[in-house]
Amino acid sequence: MKAPDFSYFEAQNIEDAIKYKSEDDEAIILAGGQSLLPALNMRLSSPSCLIDISKINNLNEIKVEGDFINIGALATHSDVMNNDLIHERLPCLVDILKMVAHAAIRNKGTHGGSIAYGDPAAELPAFAVAMNAEIILNGLAGQRIVDAKDFYLGLFETDLKSDEILTAIRYPLLGHNQHLIFDEVCRRHGDYAMAGLMARVELEQSQIKNLDLVYFATGDKPNIAQNTAKLVINDGYDYERLKKSLASEIDFAGDLNSSSEMKLHLATILINKILNKLER
Amino acid sequence: MDDIKVNQNPKLGSMDRPNSYIGRSLPRENAKKHLEGGGQFVDDLVLPRMLHVAFLRSPFAHAEMKSINVEVAKTSPGVFDVYTAKEIDEYCKPWVGTLGHLGEMRSPEQTPLAEKIVRWQGEPIAVVIANNRAQAEDALEVIEVDWEEKDAQVDMETALDDNAVVIHPELGNNLFWTRTVNQGDVNQAFKASHAVVETTLDFARHTGVTLESRGIVADWNKAEGKITIYHNGQAPHMMQHIIAKHLEVNEGLVRIVSRDVGGSFGIKVHVYPDEMAAAAISKKLGRPIKFIADRLESFTTDIHARCHKISGKLGVDKKGKILAMEINDLSGIGPFSMYPRTSAIETNQVLNLSGAPYIIPNYKAVGTVVFQNKTPMCQYRAVGHPIAVAITEALVDKAATKIGINLHEIRKKNFIPDNAYPNKTPSGVPLEDLSHQASMDKLLNMMNIDDIEKQKESNLAKGVLTGYGVIAMCEVTNPSPLFYGVGGAHISSQDGASIRLEGSGAIHLSSSITEQGQGTEAIMKQIAADQLGVSMDSVRVTLGDTDATPYGGGTWASRGAGIGGEAVLKAARTLKENILDIAAAIMQTDKNSLDVENNTVIRKNGGEGITLQQLAETVYYRGHELPKGTNPELLATASFLIEGIPFVFTNSAMGCKISIDQDTGIVKIDKFWAVEDCGTQINPKLVEEQIKGGVIQGIGGALFEECVYDDQGNMQNATMADYLVPMAYEMPDIIVDHVTTNSGRSIIGAKGAGEAGTGGAPAVIMNAINNALNQLGKEVVSQPITPEKILKALGKI
Ligand SMILES: Cc1cc2nc3c(=O)[nH]c(=O)nc-3n(C[C@H](O)[C@H](O)[C@H](O)COP(=O)(O)OP(=O)(O)OC[C@H]3O[C@@H](n4cnc5c(N)ncnc54)[C@H](O)[C@@H]3O)c2cc1C
Repeated sequence: MKAPDFSYFEAQNIEDAIKYKSEDDEAIILAGGQSLLPALNMRLSSPSCLIDISKINNLNEIKVEGDFINIGALATHSDVMNNDLIHERLPCLVDILKMVAHAAIRNKGTHGGSIAYGDPAAELPAFAVAMNAEIILNGLAGQRIVDAKDFYLGLFETDLKSDEILTAIRYPLLGHNQHLIFDEVCRRHGDYAMAGLMARVELEQSQIKNLDLVYFATGDKPNIAQNTAKLVINDGYDYERLKKSLASEIDFAGDLNSSSEMKLHLATILINKILNKLER
Repeated sequence: MDDIKVNQNPKLGSMDRPNSYIGRSLPRENAKKHLEGGGQFVDDLVLPRMLHVAFLRSPFAHAEMKSINVEVAKTSPGVFDVYTAKEIDEYCKPWVGTLGHLGEMRSPEQTPLAEKIVRWQGEPIAVVIANNRAQAEDALEVIEVDWEEKDAQVDMETALDDNAVVIHPELGNNLFWTRTVNQGDVNQAFKASHAVVETTLDFARHTGVTLESRGIVADWNKAEGKITIYHNGQAPHMMQHIIAKHLEVNEGLVRIVSRDVGGSFGIKVHVYPDEMAAAAISKKLGRPIKFIADRLESFTTDIHARCHKISGKLGVDKKGKILAMEINDLSGIGPFSMYPRTSAIETNQVLNLSGAPYIIPNYKAVGTVVFQNKTPMCQYRAVGHPIAVAITEALVDKAATKIGINLHEIRKKNFIPDNAYPNKTPSGVPLEDLSHQASMDKLLNMMNIDDIEKQKESNLAKGVLTGYGVIAMCEVTNPSPLFYGVGGAHISSQDGASIRLEGSGAIHLSSSITEQGQGTEAIMKQIAADQLGVSMDSVRVTLGDTDATPYGGGTWASRGAGIGGEAVLKAARTLKENILDIAAAIMQTDKNSLDVENNTVIRKNGGEGITLQQLAETVYYRGHELPKGTNPELLATASFLIEGIPFVFTNSAMGCKISIDQDTGIVKIDKFWAVEDCGTQINPKLVEEQIKGGVIQGIGGALFEECVYDDQGNMQNATMADYLVPMAYEMPDIIVDHVTTNSGRSIIGAKGAGEAGTGGAPAVIMNAINNALNQLGKEVVSQPITPEKILKALGKI
């Protein structure tokens, strides 16, 4: 389990990294390395070069800009969890990150890496979609902004172009009647979930007015369950009906720890868990 | 756990004296070394001219190699050479994993590299020798093999069918070994029973997952005709014999060095093809060769364990007294029986140990062991115990439920009474010095079952399924020659210790027992210092080097303290006698008026003594001052061996309380209790670590661990991300207590404590889960008990 040979480029700034990447199709960005390096050691990919962006200054900033909170791509999961602004303005993210891997991995793994990698079982891509986040990409042609829900195309497939680097994620701040509620079911603490749900809820006089349900670890990418959300708004929790609706909306893909049948069941009961949390 | 306040073993002297260390929870000194990263593991070793190897392994469970082309690989950068079976076979004779004492076993010859047919995914077929491991792996990618895939016999349950794929055609079928035990007349007894209960359980394969993977550095020195093997194994002298025999080296010129070893659990006490190949290559090339298994290789080539399907039947009378028990066990061991211990022992233990705590007048057990195209299976921590204990305790719970008595009552009714030893297991294996009654009483006191019953009811009303279990078990420890040696294996059941006083006054101790992280070194020191009357820090220990330690079996089957520890005690007592003889001569007094305390020979009734340093200096440097004829022997060696019985058994009682989330199928172990009787505890903290660590490993087996295969025999989860071992969050509170019944076989009285947790936890967890599910009339019968299996049992999916 040794990685095949590759060359290494330590980028000093974003421009260098973009330039280098645009010149070499087989070069790949290295951020925290927590997903990439195991894959290399397993010889699942053999890039020509690792472009290390982790030394680029200021790409880990977390700041509030108008109605958004902006998280730099290189902020590690630990940076985010320990950031005062996040605690004040987006506290749900701290609880979510507690479920992402373990402390040692969170000290290296980056917010941008997780969003860019697009693992369908990962928490952050689903979080970004549920939050209607904007993903900021820099490439040869300058900067462009993509809605998170348009960013994820398929299994580990994103809208990231070969010359682009993800530089930041902008999350709209939640209003006082808006909540992001999350839950997941794992076999062990810190594992990727068997199924997980990010729900963005808008209340009006303690009734649900708007609801977005975004699942992770259920299919090939963050799965949005629009029709099911409508059923919940109109009729509340009805296991059989919601299960049927989810089955028609999401193509559940089983894995080693849970069959597609199991995922469908868990996806359904997660709605109940979320509604219970909302009441509390 | 505190020190044992009152020494339970009068043979060891009062604890109320200086340097009384046996029975105290002293910190182990080598923990500091490991925390500081100062250990020396095989992979830390770098020798001049050393080359690295990597193996090309079969991607299929069963296939024929039509052709193999290694020419391109030979030209890959950094590559020294590439070998296939024929180059290695010249330097390593094949082996066969059978023994003679357990009836007919049939397993073919095995060579380091498969020549034509591969029989499990991961079997090595070619080896690249290169300047470093990465270059060796690069070259693996350009070896061309023309494969013809064959049907694989993956499922053990169809392995003996008429249309099964016969893995070794020369054997005619896939049967490796079978044994039947028959005591009394079970059929008659079942007829006479008031109630008969039955169940069938299955246990997935799992593996040891040692922190440090298998590794070897082999260094053949042609000039000396000597081979030195740095190896992270458990039994250096066994390995010495194996290397000598198969590499055809004079056994006296084989040196096995096992320094720090990062966990073993029985994984590292077997002969592996890749390690033998590395040793053979060193002999062929006259250069040091390093092989370190990576995690993928660990999962597909370290032995797996369990893989059993067992059905059982228990008959009881009206009052719950057991009249008969019958079991039928099937196990799949991969394509070869492992060498030299064979892969029959797990099943043999199942037959020997089922029902062991109880009086069962009629007992029948049938074991069948078959070949299949999966990774070889063999002895791993608590060999056979989880299966034997789970089937017994599941049946006992069912019988109790059926006739309507308490789970603990039925056990107490059937225990072999504590005062009725020596006795025998239902299968006829001798037992002595056990305490099921006292242990269960202690457990029940700790658990407060009435309280749990109340919680069960109130939780049910809230939709939470709560359950508990209590079990009793026997653990095999301290085996005698009747375990392996009698069958023809060169595996020592004796262990030796050698102890000397050096010129500086320091004590040096060496033992044939080895350390894999469990604290062997610490207890050896404690015994030596305690018996000699010296401070702990004056004792230095050498383990794991066949050139430097006494001959012996090493560490397996929970034998370090009970056998190796006794040898240390005997050697220390002899050295002390010698010291007192010399001191009496120097001090011109009666030996009986002297003793050793705090590294000084003291006069019991006052007056000046002499330090051990002064005594040693006199003997070593100024021997002319000694009275004529004084024996200057400051080195003592002793050995110990269990005689007359096959094993020294220990017993445990365990309990746990669990709750089940009915929506997710997730089981939470709320609390776990264990009462262990391992006789004298040399270091209670280390005993507690063994019990707790064992329980955690048992939780792994019960709830998480499984080597998942597809229908073609491909292992699906050979990574640490996908193969689930319990981690900190999954570890419940484990409360440990003890009953102490010393073994009458030794002065020290210690029995083993290394495996009970792993052997008992799967049974008690499964019983607790079923106790909870029974409230809804449901049950689970297959380990690991995953959330999906629970939800299926509950009819939710
Ligand atoms: C044992 C373990 C458990 C884990 N458990 C979880 C879990 O439960 N939940 C979870 O969500 N994650 C989990 N992870 C993954 C972890 O969160 C990773 O840190 C994260 O997925 C990737 O971040 P990274 O910075 O390490 O990216 P890297 O590994 O460096 O890169 C990952 C991929 O993203 C690309 N990339 C990275 N940054 C950028 C960028 N700025 N622009 C463009 N492309 C980029 C890389 O080229 C690469 O293809 C786990 C990881 C491990 C090792």
